Amino acid sequence: MRAVATIAGREMRAYFLSPGGYVIGALYLLVNGWLFVRYVFNPGEVATLRPIFSFSMMAFMLICPAVTMRVVSEELRLGTIETLLTAPIRTADIIIGKYAASLGFLVLLLAPTLVFVIALEIYGRPDYGELLCGYLGVLLAGSVFLASGILASTLTSSQVVAYLITVFFWIIVLLATKGVLQTDLLPVAWQARVDDFVIAADPELRLRDFAIGLFDSGNFIYFGSLTIVLLIAAARSLETRRWS
Amino acid sequence: MITAQRLTRKFGRFLAVDAVDFEIPRGQVVGFLGPNGAGKTTTLRMICGYLRPTAGSVHVDGHDMAVSPRRGQRLIGYLPESAPVYAEMRVQEYLAFRARLFGVPRAARRKAIDRAMGQCSLVDVRRRPIHQLSKGYRQRVGLAAALVHEPPILVLDEPTSGLDPTQVRQVRALIRELAGSRTILLSTHNLAEVELTCDRILMFARGRLRASGTIDELRGAAAGESRYIVECDAADATAALKAIPGVGRVESAAPDGAWYRLTVIGENGAQDLREAIARVILKTGGSVRELHREAPTLERLFVRIVEETEPEGAAG
Repeated sequence: MRAVATIAGREMRAYFLSPGGYVIGALYLLVNGWLFVRYVFNPGEVATLRPIFSFSMMAFMLICPAVTMRVVSEELRLGTIETLLTAPIRTADIIIGKYAASLGFLVLLLAPTLVFVIALEIYGRPDYGELLCGYLGVLLAGSVFLASGILASTLTSSQVVAYLITVFFWIIVLLATKGVLQTDLLPVAWQARVDDFVIAADPELRLRDFAIGLFDSGNFIYFGSLTIVLLIAAARSLETRRWS
Repeated sequence: MITAQRLTRKFGRFLAVDAVDFEIPRGQVVGFLGPNGAGKTTTLRMICGYLRPTAGSVHVDGHDMAVSPRRGQRLIGYLPESAPVYAEMRVQEYLAFRARLFGVPRAARRKAIDRAMGQCSLVDVRRRPIHQLSKGYRQRVGLAAALVHEPPILVLDEPTSGLDPTQVRQVRALIRELAGSRTILLSTHNLAEVELTCDRILMFARGRLRASGTIDELRGAAAGESRYIVECDAADATAALKAIPGVGRVESAAPDGAWYRLTVIGENGAQDLREAIARVILKTGGSVRELHREAPTLERLFVRIVEETEPEGAAG
């Protein structure tokens, strides 16, 4: 735990010392502000942040890989990974610490959007259950994107390559679950089963549930377990560097 | 304190370290000497638990680094080659990070950081971001980071490479100062450095341990044959010199005008041949311009070991 907190603290500081973090934050909030004024903050409109949540979930697919592309790649490039892997800490601690810091960064990115909630409270009657669910969905989506980004970052010493691996991975997942897989070419007996699997694997469908305030424990387990699996893979990937 | 048994490491099919055995007792300063690519860095990395051995084992204070690496790692302060550090952090901040990582308790941290900065003369730059510092300072930050948890073992991979002569002197002085009760392993391809700082030497070439011992022991090994440099104007001295009892070989370089430069190599254990050489040359009617005995050096042993291990056809 001490090791995780130490790693996370250093990572967090690194986000604040790099200009990239501020650029991401400024652009993200700019778009959100515009969405809020254009689609939410109008007389007669429902007091909800759905447009913001829908945008955030997709935007995070591009933002999160940028947040995590540095975390291991840069250490591999500069050789500082050697100072971490020779410290008396577990490899998993390194990964968990870096993940915790990136999730913390995401929370800080979302925090200013609470201003929108205050505005909704003043001018309308927001459904807090729905808002909470929306925020949870955004964070869960972010969590999975971050974990996949960290895994990609352990694979290469190039930040650009790490970014591209992550983004293209999710583009492929989205395309595959949005009908690019032509199940009608498969034997009839398999079609239904494959279709079921594809629908179950579709992250976008599940995020839509969260955005409209529908809390389904299945969705929660889907994102939670995916995050854990990706983080374990990242720790294994870093650990194999000791052996290869 | 550190024991390697049949320690072996492969990278794919390349054998970087080949069945190396050694034992390093507590409190010694040991130099890992060898040309680039000899396996020094790989060996040090296995000792520090950065790389796992392909076969064989390393024990640090009785802990097998493949089984319980973190117990061993707690005892080691490691400065990797080229001293990688987080450039965006401030010196003091970075040392605090390292201290926490090694579990220095909160109450002792401040003191530990101040002590490490004092030892490495970093107090003046404590608040400076590391990226603003010169190479020499960065190296010292790396060294301070290795020292901050007061490890009984220090592992320094090429601690003086890339530094200017003054900085090299400072780092060497620091190493001697740190020695005391600590066990220090340092790698280098600089012979003068080992002679100045180390109690014992492990000589590596092409992944194998080729020689080990104290500096005097190794000098003795190098001194097996004695060498005399002669410069004279007697073209036919070679045959006469060979006839001296105790002379093994005579090598001659291309003459410089009338002057011949000869190297007389005495057999193992032969006594001092200087008088005999001078007498023989004068008897042939030549004159002597220079005559001296080459003191046995580590360098000669080093060069011999490297040449012997050169693969067929690659020599020269």
